[in-house]
Amino acid sequence: MTATTASSRTPRALSAGTMLSGGALIALVGLFALLSVQMYAETLSDAAYAASYWFGTSLQILFALVIVFVALRIGWGQHVGKQWFFVGLGVAAYAAGDVAWTILDLHLGLDPYPSVADLFYTLEYAFFFIAMALAVRSYRSITDLRTPVIIGAVISAAAAAAMYFLLLKPYIFAAGVEELGIWGLVVSTLYPLGDVFFMLGPAMTLAIVIMRLGAGRLAWPWWIVVVGALVFSVVDSLYSYADWSGAGSSTLLEMGWMSANLLFALAALVARDVYRVR
Amino acid sequence: MSTLSDRVVSTLGPYVGDTVADTCVRATALSLGKTTEDLTPADFPTLEANVRRLLGPVAPTAVVDQLLADIERGL
Repeated sequence: MTATTASSRTPRALSAGTMLSGGALIALVGLFALLSVQMYAETLSDAAYAASYWFGTSLQILFALVIVFVALRIGWGQHVGKQWFFVGLGVAAYAAGDVAWTILDLHLGLDPYPSVADLFYTLEYAFFFIAMALAVRSYRSITDLRTPVIIGAVISAAAAAAMYFLLLKPYIFAAGVEELGIWGLVVSTLYPLGDVFFMLGPAMTLAIVIMRLGAGRLAWPWWIVVVGALVFSVVDSLYSYADWSGAGSSTLLEMGWMSANLLFALAALVARDVYRVR
Repeated sequence: MSTLSDRVVSTLGPYVGDTVADTCVRATALSLGKTTEDLTPADFPTLEANVRRLLGPVAPTAVVDQLLADIERGL
């Protein structure tokens, strides 16, 4: 290749494979959204309801597999490979929680909250936080991280304060151990706090780092992850509030977790593309 | 800006943004005690070391290798 062609090379847009795979994942989620409406309306037969339930759970497993596969292709020995592997582990933990929840709720007829499913659900926070911390830290030689970290922490603290006054104090702490049991109180407190300290704050920090750098295409997948984390934290918090305040859940809220993990999987597909120069 | 600086920014910019690309150039100039305008193709080894150090954590090695090859090829 001549110098002229090399210098005029422009990075490819997304590959056909990514467009097709991403489109397929979005279509599957769209199908589940339609089924979810039917599930809420209780218009499905028992068999169709169970099949739809498992279809949704299977999608979470699929998202996790996509991310872990991309991470392994990048390689554990690569810094970015580790970052994506932890994103994948987070979604895998969520999928494991969904499997446990589905079995308890659908097949054993047990109340799945609180249960072993919560152990897996809360693990998503831990793995996601590690992924975000690694991603933010990877820019430490390029830019000062103190300000973004402080801003992320302030956003987390402000959101936690809102959570305390809107959810924890009036509902969860008021119910206490007597009503929830110790395990129920722990997980009921952990979810809203996990949303703000392990999802929202770290994602905001990463967004500020990327934004300050005016980053190019290597930042594309992280922008999608940031949006996914925002969706997850907002939906999860709204769900907790709707549940405790008696407002009740909705298909839209139920689809929030699905959409967030879909965004993480799409981000991984985009990452696969942007990490290829040719 | 020198040819090397231009080349680095035009090659790395689309991937990491112009700010980070410029940081790679300035880090190289600083480590050599030069200004960015004074960088020449002979300074490529130092540039390579700085690009690997700065971009290694944010991009796979193969991508960094390819981008460095593109920079060197255009000098």
